[in-house]
Amino acid sequence: MDLSGKSGLLIDDIPEMRTTVRIQLADAGLERCDAARNIKEAIDRLTANRYDLIICDYNLGQGADGQQLLELVRRQQLLPMSTVFLMITGETGYEQVSTAAEYAPDDYLLKPFTSETLRTRLSRILDKKEALKRLYQHMGEKGDRSKALAMCDILIEEKSRYALDILRIKGDLLLAQKNPLAALALYESVLAQRATPWAEVGRARALAADGQTDAAKEHLARALTAYPNYLAAYDSLSKILEKTDKVAAQQLVEQALKVAPSTQRQRQLGSLALENKDFTRAEEAFRRTVEKDRTGFFKSHDDYAGLAKSYVEQGKTKEALATVSDMSQHFRKSPELTARQAAVESVVHIRSGNTAAAAAALERALAVSKQGGLDPTTALEVAQACFAAGKTDEAKNIIKAVAEDHHESEEVIAQARSVFAAAGMQAEGDLFLEATRKQMIKLNNDAVAMAKAGDLDTAISMLEEAANRLTNNCQVAVNAALAILMQVQKHGPTPERFARAQGYILQARRANPEHPRLAEVTGFYRKLAPAGTPIIEG
Amino acid sequence: METLVAAAIHDAKNGLNALNTWLGEAHQQAPSPALDAAMEVSTRISAQLVELLAMYRADEGSLRLAIEDHHLMDFCSETVAEVIPPAGTSSRVTLALDPDHSPEVWAFDAYQVKLVLQDALRNALRHARTSVVLDVTGEPGGGVRFCVSDDGSGFPAPVLEGALSTMNSHSSGLGLRFARVIAAHHATPDGRHGRLELSNQNGACFALVLP
Repeated sequence: MDLSGKSGLLIDDIPEMRTTVRIQLADAGLERCDAARNIKEAIDRLTANRYDLIICDYNLGQGADGQQLLELVRRQQLLPMSTVFLMITGETGYEQVSTAAEYAPDDYLLKPFTSETLRTRLSRILDKKEALKRLYQHMGEKGDRSKALAMCDILIEEKSRYALDILRIKGDLLLAQKNPLAALALYESVLAQRATPWAEVGRARALAADGQTDAAKEHLARALTAYPNYLAAYDSLSKILEKTDKVAAQQLVEQALKVAPSTQRQRQLGSLALENKDFTRAEEAFRRTVEKDRTGFFKSHDDYAGLAKSYVEQGKTKEALATVSDMSQHFRKSPELTARQAAVESVVHIRSGNTAAAAAALERALAVSKQGGLDPTTALEVAQACFAAGKTDEAKNIIKAVAEDHHESEEVIAQARSVFAAAGMQAEGDLFLEATRKQMIKLNNDAVAMAKAGDLDTAISMLEEAANRLTNNCQVAVNAALAILMQVQKHGPTPERFARAQGYILQARRANPEHPRLAEVTGFYRKLAPAGTPIIEG
Repeated sequence: METLVAAAIHDAKNGLNALNTWLGEAHQQAPSPALDAAMEVSTRISAQLVELLAMYRADEGSLRLAIEDHHLMDFCSETVAEVIPPAGTSSRVTLALDPDHSPEVWAFDAYQVKLVLQDALRNALRHARTSVVLDVTGEPGGGVRFCVSDDGSGFPAPVLEGALSTMNSHSSGLGLRFARVIAAHHATPDGRHGRLELSNQNGACFALVLP
């Protein structure tokens, strides 16, 4: 494909390299090319413009690398699927890039290379992006997974040259759609032809999603002996082990870090080590996450909170408190920051025997927490501080609110479980969380049953009460909207009813844009809405 | 130790890359067969350094391949296009990929396999009378066979019998050793491994079979 009409962004911190690669890009036919010197400039450019091609050097200086940038812009949705991302690397970077798990560049190129190779590679990826354009339009934030799946089948039927890439995408879509058995069949059919790591890992993920944990573990362990560099295999296996055997999970993450040292994995190692009471290792891991990234783009409150806790458990109170106060310098002021700092500070004071200071700090944390709206991780940190201070009821109330609000999120529930475990209340916590989850399911089921039995008013009031309280609970919002739409069907449309239904649909989408029942309720809304009613996009 | 050896090899490689850039510039100003030969040598040394590093890692037990899917046609075209024929050779490489008999995509470490094949291609070009062919076919039991064949006088008997180099050549045998290591490190979860097969047909035939 011709590069002449395309626009590019070149990201490299070394001026000479920018000049050289720019000349090579011009030789290859790419005339319109902006340049960025670092992560910040790259993000500014990507926020303001849309590019066809991004050519990024792996090494970006200041402890930052192209892989981190790629993960960041993909997560922040700054990089459409249709944009080409080519990573340029030396040999050292090559090992990291070629093993990237979740966020892989479209292609990578080893230095040195000729203009001709650069042109061939870029136009090859552009050809692929063009061929898959009809699929990409249904993917991403505003996409529709069922349409994307249907498009996969159409493209495979058309004997696309990229059939394997399409199968790979289709497997991911099926897993995201919680259809593990269809995904399993797909991966098995690929593996019947030949061995390839992505299908091996896909099969294991499908097995795990279907509850066949032991089979999944076995397949991943075998995959790792054949593909010891394949990070997706480490990530899938550590996800399983985190639920069953945290010591083994920690060992596995240590191995993965030898393959590719990423901030994300250091953080994962830190929290596992902390839970395993391996405090020196936790300190080391969190210190790396805090120190490695001098750009500040990839830091998280979790790193500082984890570091402070690792310090205090080893009796290093002064370092722990310094870490907590350091957070003010590295992060923007927010309720989350205030609550997090106060909660961790309180725990540090308790461990060092300063109960008065601990109580004062906890007061500050609770004051923010009572206003509501904290993200679940921060809210759970406050709960942990409550446990540490002996305020068990307050802790449980906070956890209950978080668990109700996020009852479908495995990740949040696992975090809540860890908070109980850290307080030495593992068994009680498991019962408590399971009871909360069952209550939420019962609430939804009762309301739906009532609505079906004709008592729409009671169903609606139950669901609206819950939806107004639990703004992050997608399922409750979906059911509230459905019940209101059933009322429309029965008693006729009013603008007020549509406005309420629309409000809950938007709330549901904010809570979880990937929820399997969103499409159903949105479709129902569109079917009933008369002309002139606000339309829901998407 | 790993880091010292690796760093030293990277240093040396960077030096060679710089040398290559200068040679390229000189070539643009005044092309000459001597510059072509110099470029071929520096490219070859650069490849040997990478092979050396891989061998070192294999000995240490820390050689880990990066296995991913690759389109065989794209991969082979690029592999062939990048080979600089040794000075004094007039043979050219032909790519003989039959879309009906070769798989479209295979999973392997493209970086290392490319080095193996380019080594074999350079070697074949040195010994061929007129032509060298790179061919890829599917293996009956599952697997893929990359075959570099020439129309020269074939491998000497000791090499076919497993010797890494012949007494009278000046080769260290690094290329063959490296090829064997890379073949063996390609593995599947069900325990199959890659291998090297050397034979004489119309000339030498170097086959890398990957699982």
